[in-house]
Amino acid sequence: MRSPSTNVAHVTDHGSGPRRGIPNKYKLFLMAFPFLVTTFIFYYLPISGWIYAFYDYTPGIPLSDTEFVGFKWFKSIVANQTQMEEVLRVLKNTVAMSALGIITSVFPVAFAILLSEIKTSWFRRFVQTLTTIPNFISWILVYALAFTLFSVDNGVVNTLLIKLGIIEEGINFLATNSNIWLTMIAWYWWKSLGWGAILYLAAITGIDQELYEAAEVDGANRFRKIWHITVPGIIPTFFVLLILSIGNFINNGVDQYFAFQNAMNKDSIEVLDLYVYNIAFANNFPFATAVSMLKSVVSVFLLFMANSLSKLVRGETII
Amino acid sequence: MRLKRTLILMLSLAIVVVMAACSKGNNSSSPSASSSSAPPASSASTEPAESASASPEATGLDHSETLKLTVFSTTANYAGPQIGWFAKAIKDKFNIELDIVASNLTGGDTKIAAMMASGNLGDIVIWGDDKNHYPNAIKGGLLLDLAKDGLLDTYGKDIVATYPKAIEKAKVAFGSGSSVFGIGNNVASNPTGPSEGKDMTWGPDLRWDLYQQVGSPEINSAADYLPVLKQMQALEPKNAQGKKTYAFSLWSDWDGNYKMTLAKQFANMYGYDEIVDTALYTKADEEKYYDFLSEESWYMKSLKLYFDANQMGLLDPDSLTQKFDDVVAKYKDGRLLFSWFPWMGAANYNTAENIEAGKGFATVPFKEEVMYSTGFNVYGGNGIISIGADAKDPKRIMEFINWFYTPEGGMISAGGGTAVPNGPKGLTWDVGADGKPVITDFGIKAYADQQNTQIPEEFGGGDYYYGANQMNFSFVVPAEVNPEFGEPYDHNLWQTTLKRNPNKLESSWREKYGVLTPKEYFVKNNKIAVAPQGFTGKEPLVMDKTLEQKNKLIGTVIQQYSWKMVYAKNEDQYNKIKQEMLDKVKGLGYDEVIAFSIKKAEELYEARKSVQ
Repeated sequence: MRSPSTNVAHVTDHGSGPRRGIPNKYKLFLMAFPFLVTTFIFYYLPISGWIYAFYDYTPGIPLSDTEFVGFKWFKSIVANQTQMEEVLRVLKNTVAMSALGIITSVFPVAFAILLSEIKTSWFRRFVQTLTTIPNFISWILVYALAFTLFSVDNGVVNTLLIKLGIIEEGINFLATNSNIWLTMIAWYWWKSLGWGAILYLAAITGIDQELYEAAEVDGANRFRKIWHITVPGIIPTFFVLLILSIGNFINNGVDQYFAFQNAMNKDSIEVLDLYVYNIAFANNFPFATAVSMLKSVVSVFLLFMANSLSKLVRGETII
Repeated sequence: MRLKRTLILMLSLAIVVVMAACSKGNNSSSPSASSSSAPPASSASTEPAESASASPEATGLDHSETLKLTVFSTTANYAGPQIGWFAKAIKDKFNIELDIVASNLTGGDTKIAAMMASGNLGDIVIWGDDKNHYPNAIKGGLLLDLAKDGLLDTYGKDIVATYPKAIEKAKVAFGSGSSVFGIGNNVASNPTGPSEGKDMTWGPDLRWDLYQQVGSPEINSAADYLPVLKQMQALEPKNAQGKKTYAFSLWSDWDGNYKMTLAKQFANMYGYDEIVDTALYTKADEEKYYDFLSEESWYMKSLKLYFDANQMGLLDPDSLTQKFDDVVAKYKDGRLLFSWFPWMGAANYNTAENIEAGKGFATVPFKEEVMYSTGFNVYGGNGIISIGADAKDPKRIMEFINWFYTPEGGMISAGGGTAVPNGPKGLTWDVGADGKPVITDFGIKAYADQQNTQIPEEFGGGDYYYGANQMNFSFVVPAEVNPEFGEPYDHNLWQTTLKRNPNKLESSWREKYGVLTPKEYFVKNNKIAVAPQGFTGKEPLVMDKTLEQKNKLIGTVIQQYSWKMVYAKNEDQYNKIKQEMLDKVKGLGYDEVIAFSIKKAEELYEARKSVQ
């Protein structure tokens, strides 16, 4: 970003000497200015909302009329033994879901490589479209689909299994606590595999074709070419996304878990975001704000940690 | 260096600009917001001059200009402009058009909170209950004081004259003695007797045809339904499409406020009801209560009942994962044999074809049953209608709201929620030769099949269902007697309706119980507990925020464990989960919630005394 802009400034400065109007460096700054303002408005200004965490705020009543309570809502997160256990359980789920997400983030990489190896272009496009579409379906509809597939009484899967004589009684796939983390990650990738692969496909297209040709001359087979050219070619992209996802470690989002939660799987499915939604979102803004403040702090910390780890391991950083 | 300085300058400029923009936004709402004690005055002066009068009504207001009102309803299940016959009626009469904003369809409580935070709630505001949001909106200055400038006295004459107690309650409970920020729903002028229509709120209802086929066995207690239902299921194990039948099919998407929603109905049939958002059930007509989670609680007994039902194969295994609409579809398909509510089983299964074939749901009460009934409420219920502080033309809005409390307005739109409104006079109903209201043939069709009945263009067109008043607010209780006819507003209760030739199902039911309607059965056999709807004359008790948080958390725990208990594999596991739940809620502060709940119960008893 920085070097080309100074180059431009250089060239014009030398070329025509002092000019009328605004000097070029200010021009460039003015061009960037709207974006600075936008960033400020949408990313920094909302931080002022953190103030709500310190008041007994209720919507509709101005802040000036509400009581200042200091760190009450922060303390309430760990108010007593049972409450502590609840929070720990929720954190365990959060960490588990995120960790699974990060471990499985190689899936779209592998998928992109496999996709790029398909030589029949209509088939490749067909597969890509088919896997990308689920990304645009809301989680509520995904749940509706899951229900028609897996409900005990009338679900496609159970009916099939019973008709085939494999089982006698329907299995309740949805209302169960076993393997819920794996089920959730499976649904997640079903929905976002194709979408996640797009960036890697772009990275693969960016690899110099000459490298492949040279490898072919050297007698490399298909697998060797993937391993020695494609993979190293997209590793930087992978790492950038990995570091970003580490920064997002405790933000699992609500939608998916909200749609799939029920009494049986709640113990294992309730991630931090869902927990806040379930107990505070509708009626307790200060509490929700307090939790999201802590989340922001932890996220920033994790991001910098991942970044310095990357510096240590790969000698490169993204920030 | 220069660049850096400019950068700082520019950034600070940006901050100033942004801050200015924001504070401007705040300013517009803060005059109304900050004046919590003095009611906002701005709205009264903004309306057009009253001089130009084209078609003066009794109130002398000018209706020549179309008034478009935004109705923010927390109870509506429809969003967008009001259409159909109701839209036509109010357009003709008041030249008013309604645009409905329904929080139910756009995020629920979150939407309400967003509207509250924005400082403008629209022209007419409808609150599902008078807790939390409504008092906060008053404190925040978001609602118009109807008592100010004689608004209510001049343009709300019928409300003041017929339902003075509702105004009194509004003043004392929420208006610090003098202001009126809203009027309660389902208001009545006469304080005695049950306020329900033909059916009560609960049944239970069974598939009448199957119940008769198994010999109509005597049922003494709630638990006695299980063996009977088992026999009925054996008689019809599969529906016409070959799908399995069940006695009970539950749904979890209505859970909230402290409970698994479907575990409280038997308590209601024993004359108890929960005090909302607390941990107590109280008797309708006595000063008796029990703890939600105690052994005698019908909440816990219901969980056991469902557990037993599940062991017997009577409970739909998809209960936990399906939604309400799935259950409705199952009733329609004839896959369920039991219904807690008349508006659930009968409303969905008793179609003309099924009735023709002699099949249908009907109320089968049990011997111990004492039906909980909400008494007539002269103070108005907990649902509230208000006018927004920034409303466009408060005089015309007040005049409009007042109309619903007159015989004319009451007849066209009495009811709300699951009740079917009467519709326009001359189309769905008319006045007979004897001066009594009677349903027309078109009306019978329209009430039975609301969504597929087309309304003639001259009455506004569209179908009957979406043409109904979509605000979803019941102004006057439908069982209230309309002074014009000496008959209730609700068409189900007209003598002409009750005596209309009954179908086979109805006649066999009437023959067995010797009465015309379920309500008559419960009243005649003295199996009813009417809860007097009174008022303490004080501001209602509310939980502080910390306790509210604990209560909410405890509620989610109870909900979750309730389902686990119902689906426990065996008795041992059932008891183990139950103990786990009790320990967990205790740890989360259940005792504090109980202490508050008891205070709330005492408040309720005090309120009841006011109408005895």
